[in-house]
Amino acid sequence: MKRTVDVNIPLGPIHPCFKEPVRLKCEAKGERIVGVEVELGYMKKGIERIMKGRPWQEVMFLAERVCGICSVIHNMVFIEAMEQISGISVPPRAAYLRVIANELDRMQSHLLANFSYCYTIEHETLGMYLLDLREQVMDELEHLTGARVTCAYIIPGGVRCDIPRPDAELLQTSLDRIERDLRRYSGMFADGPMIALRSRGVGILTQEAAQQAHAVGPTARASGIAADCRLNHPTYRQLGFVPVSRKDHDNYARVMVRFDEVVQSIGLIRKCLQDLPKGVIRGGGVCKAGETRYSGEAPRGELTYFIKSDEYGRIVDIQIQTPSIMNIEACCHEMILGADSIADVTSTFVSADPCVACTER
Amino acid sequence: MTILQRIKNKVRARSIHVAYVDVGSCNGCDIEVLACLAPRYDIEQYGIFVHNNPREADVLLVIGAYTPGWEEKLAMVWEKIPDPKAAVAIGNCPISGCLFNRRESFVDPPVKKHIPIAAEVPGCPPRPTEILQAILSVRDSVFANWEEEHP
Amino acid sequence: MGQSLIWYLKEFARIEWIKKFLFAKTAPLVTPSYFRGFPEPTGKICQNALFCMMVCPAPGAIEVVHDEDGWIPRIHKGHCIRCGFCVEACPNGILKSGRILETKEREGTSLLFSFRIAIDLELCTGCGNCCTACPVNKVIDAQMGAGGHSSNDEVIMRVQEGDIVVIHEDKCTGCKTCEVSCPTGAIRIARILEGYQQPVQEESQ
Repeated sequence: MKRTVDVNIPLGPIHPCFKEPVRLKCEAKGERIVGVEVELGYMKKGIERIMKGRPWQEVMFLAERVCGICSVIHNMVFIEAMEQISGISVPPRAAYLRVIANELDRMQSHLLANFSYCYTIEHETLGMYLLDLREQVMDELEHLTGARVTCAYIIPGGVRCDIPRPDAELLQTSLDRIERDLRRYSGMFADGPMIALRSRGVGILTQEAAQQAHAVGPTARASGIAADCRLNHPTYRQLGFVPVSRKDHDNYARVMVRFDEVVQSIGLIRKCLQDLPKGVIRGGGVCKAGETRYSGEAPRGELTYFIKSDEYGRIVDIQIQTPSIMNIEACCHEMILGADSIADVTSTFVSADPCVACTER
Repeated sequence: MTILQRIKNKVRARSIHVAYVDVGSCNGCDIEVLACLAPRYDIEQYGIFVHNNPREADVLLVIGAYTPGWEEKLAMVWEKIPDPKAAVAIGNCPISGCLFNRRESFVDPPVKKHIPIAAEVPGCPPRPTEILQAILSVRDSVFANWEEEHP
Repeated sequence: MGQSLIWYLKEFARIEWIKKFLFAKTAPLVTPSYFRGFPEPTGKICQNALFCMMVCPAPGAIEVVHDEDGWIPRIHKGHCIRCGFCVEACPNGILKSGRILETKEREGTSLLFSFRIAIDLELCTGCGNCCTACPVNKVIDAQMGAGGHSSNDEVIMRVQEGDIVVIHEDKCTGCKTCEVSCPTGAIRIARILEGYQQPVQEESQ
């Protein structure tokens, strides 16, 4: 089919708005975008190839380094898959501590995504507020696990360190402070008239299109699909988790879903701290042979590990399905099409929170 | 030292534009560079401005273990930066390849082979304070008296 | 538009904002004591147990070397990823990093490990590199030659009649030196790790 295209505009791989190298080739007719093609391949490291033949204590760190932003969930899904293979049961206290670490990680990831969005639409004030809030969440994560980004907190049969009672109380008070600030900032985003001009009605992803493109995570939940892998997780079920969703379908909805999820995460952590069971944090257990498929909810959506291990617990075969690839697909083929200006391309792309590192691995 | 050089030294020390390029990392160092922007660390109080545009940059932060996708492209980015310039390797990846430097992987570390590196920040990932100190150390060692040393 | 102006005025009229505006002070940037930094020696004497090398996930990050004062673990910056596993695995508490050592003592957590040496005889050429490279062999039989022949029965493995024979699998520390030195990739060490905690008393929680 022949199309009238005025200009081909390449965005990236080095672009002030993108944190990671990815190239978007936009076909524009005047200012209107008629087609977008995404070019990946700047970050391919071959992590799955390196993982083969290694025991869990090495693969765990490689799994964390699939994505540095949402490292705890990669750690958690990999270890829980190994536990499912080997039939290791987790002590209840460790299961709750895992949820705390995971939700703190989700909070910082969502705050970073919202910072990037605010930075892209040039609302730097709100962006800096959110980044400052994120630093407070990072402090809590560091206090709990001992590291800011790649925490290496979860091991088969438990977690690495306990949270003593004074630390738990400190975490409670910081959560109160974080929630107070967060409500103010999300109110600023929700009611800001200038923000609404750049966000409302831009980058629409309808429910049917989201289903067709298999969008996951906040991108799907902003289009009215209340799917969340945390519903299948036993610990989250104990906590009475219900996913949030919105029906606005646009950039605004995607950012607001993330704000809502951060508030929800704060509630989950509070609940965890409230009924934190007593007992040991490491139950022991040796990894064995077998194969399984295990899913968890990363900040960006469903994350699946397919693992096959040998009798000593070494990985024979591993496949990782990360959430971002579906979201990038949905973003490029549905959301960006029909954007009124080039400036909306970057903001729409960032609103889907693409993580190129975990897409390419 | 001429007066002009003195003025240049003074101005350069207070105005550093930074571009960062991710050549295949895990994103951990990227977000630590972003965290430097936060009011807590406040990178702009030292006159450092993260611009992410190579043509306006003075310091290039290289993050990642050099994947084949960046063959020639990283050198092109480096050439586009006007003199005086310096590259800083952030994290273990550009120094040694970190965990990715094994048999079977696609990466080709260290980045030192491909472009000259002025300073290195070890850590996986380094703390924002360590990144800040590295950028500030480059300021004194590379940019001072640049015209007199490179006539 | 008018609404927005009122909103902004309201934002600036907050006492919190005015306080921050007038008395803003950047907090000093300190690395918190609980941050898991590069492992540092505590000053205790290294017994050359080599468990740190066994557990280390990063290639070439830690190495136990012998200098004038005895054995000492050396951390290579630029390779070390600061995971703190070496601190946790060390049975003698030689390294410290953040508060790992104290939580380990307080909570009674430890890592249990066992090792299996698997040799693919199809690939093995009997060169004896693994036997001579093995740091445990080196301590037991310092006279071991380049071919890996030894008359000492206490070594982990040795070359007998062109084939490698594993004698004492239980002495293996899993340090991976043999894997690195093997030219054909015939020798593989399975390291089976298990997180363990002694049951705690109720009142300590």
